[in-house]
Amino acid sequence: MIAKEKLKEYANKLMFDMNEEEYKTLQEEFEIILKHMDLIGNVPNISDVSPMTFPFSNEDVSLREDEVGDYLTVSEVLENTKHQLNDQVKVPKVVE
Amino acid sequence: MYRGKSITQLREELDSEKVTPEDLFSKANQLAHYFQDDYNSFVTIIDKCKYRKSDSKLNGIPYALKDNFSTTGILTTASSNILKDYVPVYDATVYKKLKDAGAILVGKTVLDELAMGGTGTTGHTGVVKNPWDKECMIGGSSAGSAASVALGIVPFSIGSDTGDSVRKPASHGGLVGFKPTYGRISRYGLFAFASSLDHVAMFARNVKDVAIVTDILKGKDPNDMVTLNDDDKCYADLLDKDIKGKKLFYIKEMCGKDAYKDIDDKDLSEVISTFHEMLDKLRKKGFIIEEVSVDKTLLEAIYPTYMVISCAEATSNNSNLTGIQFGPRGEGNSIEEIMFDARTKGFSELIKRRFILGSYILQKENQEKLFLNAGRIRHIIVDKMNELFKEYDGMIAPCSGGPAQKFESTSEKLSDRYLILENHLAIGNFGGFPSITVPYAMIDDMPVGLNITGRVREDDLVLNIAYKIEEETGLKDIYSKVGDIDV
Repeated sequence: MIAKEKLKEYANKLMFDMNEEEYKTLQEEFEIILKHMDLIGNVPNISDVSPMTFPFSNEDVSLREDEVGDYLTVSEVLENTKHQLNDQVKVPKVVE
Repeated sequence: MYRGKSITQLREELDSEKVTPEDLFSKANQLAHYFQDDYNSFVTIIDKCKYRKSDSKLNGIPYALKDNFSTTGILTTASSNILKDYVPVYDATVYKKLKDAGAILVGKTVLDELAMGGTGTTGHTGVVKNPWDKECMIGGSSAGSAASVALGIVPFSIGSDTGDSVRKPASHGGLVGFKPTYGRISRYGLFAFASSLDHVAMFARNVKDVAIVTDILKGKDPNDMVTLNDDDKCYADLLDKDIKGKKLFYIKEMCGKDAYKDIDDKDLSEVISTFHEMLDKLRKKGFIIEEVSVDKTLLEAIYPTYMVISCAEATSNNSNLTGIQFGPRGEGNSIEEIMFDARTKGFSELIKRRFILGSYILQKENQEKLFLNAGRIRHIIVDKMNELFKEYDGMIAPCSGGPAQKFESTSEKLSDRYLILENHLAIGNFGGFPSITVPYAMIDDMPVGLNITGRVREDDLVLNIAYKIEEETGLKDIYSKVGDIDV
């Protein structure tokens, strides 16, 4: 069984945590998940295949011209935070 | 009477001035409120009719939009506490196109949190119930969008589909659910889940209606660089039911008559038998339908392949949810502590589990074995489909191993039914193939759907095949007539 400490490490790398009970539930669920993952290894002769990262070759993709388009104003950018100072998002001091 | 009418029917009534857009909105709004407590389709119900007149086929037609599409000035939560107060300052391309077409937004619909889930039970505002039976799930993640159409509140709704998030709930809701080719519709303003698999998709109650909606939404968008150049076709006008000589295949190991003969499962055996009855009917109407065989280990690998790719992509796509620029601010003495606290409080347990899986997959020691091998299997599956599509015009299959499940039921997650029949729709996302669900049978008064998946860019052919099939099912324009309301 995967160690709880490992699961906590994975969670913390993504900057969140869970409580002890949640880790315990996940530890049990991971047993099934790992069995599922084993099915990936059952497919024979895959080492020469390139991993697919995009559904199909798309010739329609092109970089757009570097033209100024619509953009958000400072007040729009700040609309969803109460923590503001001098037209910027306020956070705790970063440099001591 | 408004409830349950299709886009086409409402268009006629609007054009003949029997009704006004304001009348239709008012009725949709009444229905949305009437059913909200019992079925929970919506995060936000819009109470003010806002529409911009146009000469499009959707002018004056009410619709619902999944709550992971950005809508200026309208709360957009992705059904997550981490976005519970987020009000966007820009419009998703889909929303903008629908506004420009004169469609009227009735509400933003509940989804599985951040679109990651297939049950409709994990949204931060509660569980979405199936209009055909309140004890059952409608499925997800586009749960509220499905329920709102299945209740007859709106004639169409928009969802997103990363693994089967429109096509599966369409099956459980007795609806048509269409996911066009990857890139056919812009995803600008759709909150990303797994970018290489994410599609915009839609629900309606008949095939012509999804064609009408796709015609409005498709096209190149400079804000989404993977969008396809428009094919300049009007899909709705091309529907003619001429399918003579069209060839479909079904996969023996997925839905052959004997695929599950050793499993004692009443729903599963009814799905397989009704599916084959339908195939016989379709053969009589001119379709050529043949059985093909595909390596079972490949089919069993669809689900883990999907989980690996989607969870890995999701971990990075959701890294912007920090509570700093938007979302509830966490507590702490440093930026890191604030983010950590916001994410710990903002994500539900289920989402955290998926993220931890994504994190596990992306660890250096697991990348080759899991992440890269999943990409390889995706490649093999897509190549296999493309090879079959050289001979056949489409794949036909049941969407799942049974009607919608009860809330308390638990699937045997390692069974063949679960691994293959419940998860094969992700093939459509792996290869970006156009893919459509159409209801084809009722089992114990609950609808079940079949799926057609075809060659990329041939959305018009997939729609036309579905249009012909719909004629044979006798289940066109169905919705749940539950409730005591007459509008």
